Amino acid sequence: MKKLTYLFLLTAFLFISCEKDGIEGPSLNDLFGELNIVENLNVVGDSASFASESAYFTAKFSKIVDWKISITGLSSGAEKTIIGKSNEINATNSVWRGEVSLLPFFKEENCSVLLTFPSHSDTISASFVIIEAKNYGNGNELIVSDFENGFNPNFTNFFQSTCLKKIETGDAGQSDRYLIQEGTCDWDWLIGYIDYPANHWFQQGTLSANPDNVYFNMMINGDSTLSPTNEANSLFKLEFYEDENQDGYYDQNTEDRLEVEFDVNWNGWKMFSIKYSDLILAWNSGGNAIREPNKILKFRTLLLANPESGFAKADVDYIVWSEGSPILNQ
Amino acid sequence: MTKFITKLLFFLILMPLLSSGQITQKVWYDGNSRAMFYRDALSGDLKDVDTTSTRSEGEGSTVIDLGMHFTPNDEIEIFSEIRIKNDFGYMWGSGAYVDLRRLSVKGVLNDRISFNLGDMYLKQTPFTLNNFVQELSKYEPSVFQAYRDLIEYENFYLDDYWRMQGLQSNFSYTFYNAISSVEADFFASRVRGVEWLGEPELLMLGATSLIKLENSLSVAINHVNSFEVQSSSLDTVTYYNPVTNLQLEYAKKINSLTYRLNLDFGGSTRGWRENNGTILFESTGGFIKGDLKAINKRMMVSIGFSYVDPDFRSAGAQSRRVNYISAPSSYAYYTNNTILRPVSMMDITTDPNIYNNRLSTSLMHYNTLYTAVTPYGEATPNRAGAKIDFDYKNKGASILVSAESAYYNEVIGQGTTERRALFSSGIMLTAHLEKLTPLKNKTSFEVSVSNENVERDGSDLEEISFNSMLLSAGLSYELFNNLKVIGGVKSFGGKGNEVGSQRDEYDQIVGYKLLDFDSKEDILMLGLQYNFTNDIYFSLQTNKIDIDDKTSEISQLSLSRIYFMFNMNL
Repeated sequence: MKKLTYLFLLTAFLFISCEKDGIEGPSLNDLFGELNIVENLNVVGDSASFASESAYFTAKFSKIVDWKISITGLSSGAEKTIIGKSNEINATNSVWRGEVSLLPFFKEENCSVLLTFPSHSDTISASFVIIEAKNYGNGNELIVSDFENGFNPNFTNFFQSTCLKKIETGDAGQSDRYLIQEGTCDWDWLIGYIDYPANHWFQQGTLSANPDNVYFNMMINGDSTLSPTNEANSLFKLEFYEDENQDGYYDQNTEDRLEVEFDVNWNGWKMFSIKYSDLILAWNSGGNAIREPNKILKFRTLLLANPESGFAKADVDYIVWSEGSPILNQ
Repeated sequence: MTKFITKLLFFLILMPLLSSGQITQKVWYDGNSRAMFYRDALSGDLKDVDTTSTRSEGEGSTVIDLGMHFTPNDEIEIFSEIRIKNDFGYMWGSGAYVDLRRLSVKGVLNDRISFNLGDMYLKQTPFTLNNFVQELSKYEPSVFQAYRDLIEYENFYLDDYWRMQGLQSNFSYTFYNAISSVEADFFASRVRGVEWLGEPELLMLGATSLIKLENSLSVAINHVNSFEVQSSSLDTVTYYNPVTNLQLEYAKKINSLTYRLNLDFGGSTRGWRENNGTILFESTGGFIKGDLKAINKRMMVSIGFSYVDPDFRSAGAQSRRVNYISAPSSYAYYTNNTILRPVSMMDITTDPNIYNNRLSTSLMHYNTLYTAVTPYGEATPNRAGAKIDFDYKNKGASILVSAESAYYNEVIGQGTTERRALFSSGIMLTAHLEKLTPLKNKTSFEVSVSNENVERDGSDLEEISFNSMLLSAGLSYELFNNLKVIGGVKSFGGKGNEVGSQRDEYDQIVGYKLLDFDSKEDILMLGLQYNFTNDIYFSLQTNKIDIDDKTSEISQLSLSRIYFMFNMNL
């Protein structure tokens, strides 16, 4: 019995003194503690050439907290946002390769950097210089047009007499120039359309035959505040014509037309990207119903608007095909 | 001819009498009855401030639970209990209803295997299946018996058993070798039935095997598995929670003391699985508990320790009696804002409608103010500590003393590396004064104190300091044969700060609530009780109830109550 009692007491001591490392649940300090900046915001490098380099930020806080770094191009107005939840900002959670969160693209310019905390009023600022802007793409992209060299006269088009199509300099989505498309047409839905024949694209090449691997990208600048009702008034339509028999012509009875349409219900520049396999076959398409991006003869962009609702606008810039993913992800 | 007629008459009269003497009684009845009435009247400051609540309210009813036992043969007994209830204030049956309260069949197969079908009471160990007592009830003076009986009876609380439905069977064999006997018990129970477009059916299977060896050593294996049946619902996720408990007991008598050494250990797994077998969430945890008990005729001392892992989960052992997410019967909504009144000591002591009688698959909400140390009984997760129990009665049993003290530490800190230190203690003294003083009439006096204390070091944010104390007392004086004057008090106070945890659907802590307490609650009781027997009595009493939460301007309530109860348990 004595031995058993000793064994009992020994076992009791062992288990009573049991402890586990770590904590159960979220940290009290993180939820209720005050935020103190232990190490101030630092931009590693202060400048970067995004053609070959990247940048990152460092900071340390007294608790795990939601944070947000906002980088704004002082010339372009481009914005990059990096968000996280941690008590430390470092290379693992704040690398920036020059990409943009809110168009337009960054240029070679000075940027302001702002660190904020959604749950706290603390704000820390810094600055950064872009020596060379990022080049989007993985090497397989095909630029249709960025309008830097003006409007290609081989892009056949039609715009209503009361509507406008023109090249504008400044406030572009990419680089300096872009194409304005806007106007009011009270007798027809069509504001205007432009055909982009494949043999007149800025970069020539053959797209991949795999429709799941090909993305169409286009910057569109909307401004619904210009419509009388202050609502989205512009309808954008894209039509892709396939030359299945490769005879240089499109025959709607024997060849496919794919399309997509959407409201331009945003203000400012936005990159519209769509996977070729997500395009919808037109109702009167007469081809093999196989999506074949490598056989595209041309594509057409149409700006439409309800004649009763007045002014419509959808400027475009940087039309580019990409492979593997949308262009902004590259 | 006359002789023949005389013999025939004799035969016709005597034979039924003889034959009736051979028939065993096949149907017999028992039952319980209760008449209860209470009326509450607002008093204190709230009476003047609260202009939306009624000045008084109350209710009452007469209840008869008629039990019918039918024994078609010696091996089988069919039992049903029909409840007939009539709420006061209605006429012509509009407030009356008839319910089937219990239905079961029990019997013995071949004099060896007993079985029970239908309603049954089940328990295993404090870690697998156990209905632990509610807070603020330990060491409660017997003058509050009328309330306690009502709560336990209405909620089917029989000691620490859970009332469930299903099938149970057990058998035992006695041997004449190293193994003295083997006992086995198993059950299958349906905890939750099919709900249309609702949660899946919840079943619980369990088994116990007890092997007693000749050398005073016994080994028991207990296992329960509660799980949802995926095919019974459109839900794609089902729950499972197997728990195993191995028990060892060694008993030895040395001089006048019998020593018992018990060791419990085991573990649990709890998780949620998708149709395709993918486990969405799973946690496992173990426990170990040991105690050494010394017993003689007048004294019992027990020293024990326990360790329960933070991830130990057992639906059968951690389901709580008090359901804080419920509306109390008396003044459920109060103040001019008509807010739901939180469950208080008054409700825990007197209201059967705030109690839960079904197992819960997740950790139920509790109020730290009333139970901070072991809110889930002995199976409370994240506790490691020691406990001492002591019972004593003097010669003649005129004085009885019970005491306990427990000290625990958290195994892992919640939200911080600092761990809570939790201390609870209690002591109760019962004195039968007629045996100790010249008083001739039966007079008993009970007094008890229970205390809980939680401390945690650390920064201002981490630091916890909470204290609560429940002081209870009761006096019963027999005026004349079986008629007693009874008086009692329960006074509770809690003060300090705590950090309540908020958990997700998998019981994982996702947030905290910083709590401050400064509360005082009192129940004063004075009345008469006439006992026909221990279980048949009537009690007429008046109560004064005060609740004052100083952390909130609106959490105050004062009531005056008249309460009558006639209780008959056969």
